[in-house]
Amino acid sequence: MTAEAPEPQMSSGHPVTGLDEVVHQRVRLGILAIAHEARRVEFGYLRSQLDLTAGNLSKHLSVLEMASLIDVEKGYEGRRGRTWVTLTAAGSTALAEEIKRLKLLITQIESTDTPED
Amino acid sequence: MTTESMSAGGDPRRLLSDVRGLTHRVRLDQRLTWLALLVLGLVTLVGIPFDWFGMRVNCASDGSCEFARRGVLFYWPPALLLAYAGITVSYIRAARARGLGARVLPYAITGAALTVLFTAAWVAAALYFPDHPVRFPSWVLVVDRLIAPWGVIGVALLVLARVERNVALLLFTLGYLAVALTLPTNEGWGTSWGIRADFAIPQVICGIVLLLGATGFAVASRRHR
Repeated sequence: MTAEAPEPQMSSGHPVTGLDEVVHQRVRLGILAIAHEARRVEFGYLRSQLDLTAGNLSKHLSVLEMASLIDVEKGYEGRRGRTWVTLTAAGSTALAEEIKRLKLLITQIESTDTPED
Repeated sequence: MTTESMSAGGDPRRLLSDVRGLTHRVRLDQRLTWLALLVLGLVTLVGIPFDWFGMRVNCASDGSCEFARRGVLFYWPPALLLAYAGITVSYIRAARARGLGARVLPYAITGAALTVLFTAAWVAAALYFPDHPVRFPSWVLVVDRLIAPWGVIGVALLVLARVERNVALLLFTLGYLAVALTLPTNEGWGTSWGIRADFAIPQVICGIVLLLGATGFAVASRRHR
């Protein structure tokens, strides 16, 4: 991820408490990651890469759109309807923060992983 | 946290690995490296007759020759600009057909800017040096080769490798630049076949290297799909 994000606030000292439920969901994190890398991604591509049904993907997109993390643009190419998803600035920041927290979490897990006696 | 997010995907290592896998997949799907190299290779080879027949050569009775490569100046600027425009349109169309945005614009802008730079440098040299002969140090000749058409192709490809985060293209481009900067592309080969052939040989080599690269990337791209 190249997006710069402010340092996550760790109020309780553990990165788990700072995880955003909207972003920290496997499918939604995948949508944000793909949209970040692709700049603009079509509904069909997301569906095939994430192996989801159209209904399931639509639900996840709605959650992200409600949280203003993505913009959804519907249009036509010829007679074919197409839905394009773009990451918002807030979405980019949220994704960068999530990645940062996950890395922090892994570091903490690894540092507390002591061999059993 | 929802039950769903605590499933197998909730493991932070697994989540990060999934994210990396998805972004890698997107990058592969956005690439059309073979086409860029194919176009540039063809442009290089097609440019050889323009250089050959557009070159003005005046040889004196003592055997010394003066030459002016007018064909390079007339052919390469429009050819490179058209090539970058074609590559950009193809990248955008291919990415769009796959349901993705494209990352090709920085490459096209760099390519066009370098084309303008090369043209300005060659025009300035063509106007100034005939009346003001200068003996340059060797590092100037390296810069001269870098801003020649065969050099600017390589410099722009470095930008494409960066925007695509394409390590294979970076390695290929470094190899290509090593060839383009080592071969006397704008000085002549120094054979006994005549001055036109001296300039044609390095261009043939650069063109073939680009076409071989195109073939390699096309095969690799087919294997990924």
